[in-house]
Amino acid sequence: VTAVSVCLLLLVGVPLGTLFSAAFEQGAGDAWSAVSGDGSGRALLNTVWTSFAVSALAVAGGTTAAFITERSRAPGRRWMRGAMLAALFSAPLVSAVGWTRAYGRGGLLDEATGVSWDGLFGPGGVVVVGVCGAVPLAYAVVAASLASRVEPDTERAARASGATPAQALRTVTLPLARPGVAAAAALVFVSAVNAFEVPAVLGIPAGFPTMTTRLYQNLTLSADPAAFTSAVALAAALVVLSVLVVGPADALTGVGSAPRTAATSGSATTDARSSWWLAAGLWGFVALAFAVPLVALVLMALTRAIGLPPVPANWTLDNFALAFNQHAYAALRNSLLLAGVAATVVLLLGVLTAVLGRRGAGRPLGTLVTLTFAVSGSALAVAILLAYGGRLRDTLTIILVAYLAKFWALGHHPVAGALERVPDDLVRAARVNGASPLVAARSVVAPILGPALAAGWLLVFLFAIHELTISSLLYGPGNETLAVVILNQQQLGDVAATSALSVLLSLLIAFGAALLVMARRAARTLGAAR
Amino acid sequence: MVGWVAAQVALLLSACAGASSGAATGGSGGSSGTTVLLYTSYSQPEVDGLVGAYRAAHPEAKVEIFRAPTGQLNARVAAEKRGGKVRGDVLLLSDPLSMQQYAAQGMLRRWSPAEASFVPPEARSDTFWGVAFLDVVVVNQPGLTPLSWQDLTGPRYRDAVALPDPGFAGSAFGALGFFAQAPGYGVDYYKRLKSNGAVQVQSPTEVITGVAEKRFKAGMTLDFLARAAIAKGSPLQMSAPAPGAVRLYAPVAVFGDTSRPTAAEAFAGFLLTEPAQQALAEQRRHPIRADVPAKTPALKEVAPDWPLIFQRRGELLADYRAVFGG
Repeated sequence: VTAVSVCLLLLVGVPLGTLFSAAFEQGAGDAWSAVSGDGSGRALLNTVWTSFAVSALAVAGGTTAAFITERSRAPGRRWMRGAMLAALFSAPLVSAVGWTRAYGRGGLLDEATGVSWDGLFGPGGVVVVGVCGAVPLAYAVVAASLASRVEPDTERAARASGATPAQALRTVTLPLARPGVAAAAALVFVSAVNAFEVPAVLGIPAGFPTMTTRLYQNLTLSADPAAFTSAVALAAALVVLSVLVVGPADALTGVGSAPRTAATSGSATTDARSSWWLAAGLWGFVALAFAVPLVALVLMALTRAIGLPPVPANWTLDNFALAFNQHAYAALRNSLLLAGVAATVVLLLGVLTAVLGRRGAGRPLGTLVTLTFAVSGSALAVAILLAYGGRLRDTLTIILVAYLAKFWALGHHPVAGALERVPDDLVRAARVNGASPLVAARSVVAPILGPALAAGWLLVFLFAIHELTISSLLYGPGNETLAVVILNQQQLGDVAATSALSVLLSLLIAFGAALLVMARRAARTLGAAR
Repeated sequence: MVGWVAAQVALLLSACAGASSGAATGGSGGSSGTTVLLYTSYSQPEVDGLVGAYRAAHPEAKVEIFRAPTGQLNARVAAEKRGGKVRGDVLLLSDPLSMQQYAAQGMLRRWSPAEASFVPPEARSDTFWGVAFLDVVVVNQPGLTPLSWQDLTGPRYRDAVALPDPGFAGSAFGALGFFAQAPGYGVDYYKRLKSNGAVQVQSPTEVITGVAEKRFKAGMTLDFLARAAIAKGSPLQMSAPAPGAVRLYAPVAVFGDTSRPTAAEAFAGFLLTEPAQQALAEQRRHPIRADVPAKTPALKEVAPDWPLIFQRRGELLADYRAVFGG
């Protein structure tokens, strides 16, 4: 316990402590006026209202999608789950840039039909693209709770007792799904508060600040010392805002995760015709929110010059050749190194926390780890800069430290889940049959844990590879990550390079996600064979 | 078990720390004094061209590059200064006005390059030296060429002009310096642009993108960027409206805080040599040296009175912000 606690203290406790003491150094009144004053006050307000809007819409959308894949007769539900999972891993930066290329002025839609959405830059775009990114997240949480917690048997009982499908849905399924929906809402709200990429691409040009973009601009675009003070106060406010929401939510979701008794899929509550409509709706969402922007990016990356129609006659690979210069490669190497090391260390920490949790001492630790995930990347970056910036400023190590703090929870949960699935009986049976502890560990625990560990590793790796919020604040000469290079090209207005690099990042993520799916499948097969 | 894992974590961390500090400061430790850290607002192809030429002449030398728009560089330097000292050795900017701010704060080293005599008098000071000229021009949709900069405030360009942000792009700051003191213009020119619906974007590159995609009819940008886009086939025209394209010079300087003054001066001085000037010409820049010909046709230019503009430096951005906001 001590080792884990010390790690947690060093990674999160000390930096946050430094952050708050710095924020309150000039007295609470001044810190508050820095947050509420002038531009920052507007940013705070924008963050709060856009986060509420994004949460409400995304939870509604995600819940609907979850019911479509888990409770309807819509065709191709397996593919839908796959598509939503893929969407979950897409980089928000790529999405935001893709939307501008797809629906903005001079974008794909504009090129094809002369129609474009001018409100894309501004609050409208920040909310809509934010919702699109958050729907898969809400979906994943609600679908998981529908699959594990909501008993198909109770639904069938209701139907057998004469309830209409709609009644069964209203009186049985929805109430049982409520904790899942609440958890999704909390998670989406926190990630909306902490979102940086979408408001950076769509909000900054329109003069629509949020707390994270304001913080970014204060740190990277202002030479004024007062801007740094205000950034510190903003970071502290962000922490308070996220923890206020997640604390209660984590307690809420911890309640009763009863194992399901029947392994059958849920009862269908729709007829065939409406199922088709539901399927069409879900595929429409995936196409409009993710596929079209990605296609627009690829076309832009292939087009010879800006302002030319993206037809084959104008295609070239020059943009890729130009974008993948030695600096992009160096950045790619940094990203891979950071993500790889972060994933490995996070997994080790996850195993530690989980092992302790199994002994009963780690439950509060697990909650703490979850809380750190709620802390905004921007705030964490500022906190770690304050605490360790003296020695580590501009090194990859400082980014790594922030990644470890941020992604600990991501590694903790899959490992904890997998460890729970290792039945004590099996280990005992192996030991009774003469296996040494080592053999028991190798032949019983490792096969069950291995794929889960691989999946956990890939999960952290995937999130770290497109991480931008932290790296955009902590990078220095020679330490850019790939996402930082993309953001800088985007801020510079170099559309071709931005698109080409975004396509590369997407390919990288797709490759990692494919591996993740394979690891998950292996884990499930092993689980079933048991 | 716990101890073992902790040890592994420590090992990984230290390995990573070693790798990163190696990458970040590679060889800064005394003996190999040939590494310099360059802070620049130049775009990537030009920096690569310059560094390539330097490495060809000095294969043992190493140049680390931190490239960012001027506004971002200013923020970084300011943060480093607050933390103790500036890490960069050489500063290469796109306009003299931003550079003058550092000179005025005494942050630049007094030095004189070996080839100083090739730098025209108007692009010299005791701390920074012009490396290339660049022109602030208008880029416009075909057939919409303005005859004068004043035309952009007229009804023909209503709601259709893009301007780069002087707080972000050094060249835009330089142009602001020129217009602020030009007869018939002044900060009032920006007020008229604003009331005609002109839009502030971030960078000169963004202006070109916006005009090429027909979001704007015209915009203020840099000649070599416009030429590059036109050469690739973007549907654009470049023009130098009366009184002319605003000629800036892009200066190089050495930070006073540098711990490797010899290497820093060697690199900065190299930028004035013929191979470096040739490399700039390859990237459609106008060499500062008269004996290295430019590869692009000359435009009608106006040359700002820099000493006069330097005096007004402090109030310029604030005046501009009062018009176009922050």
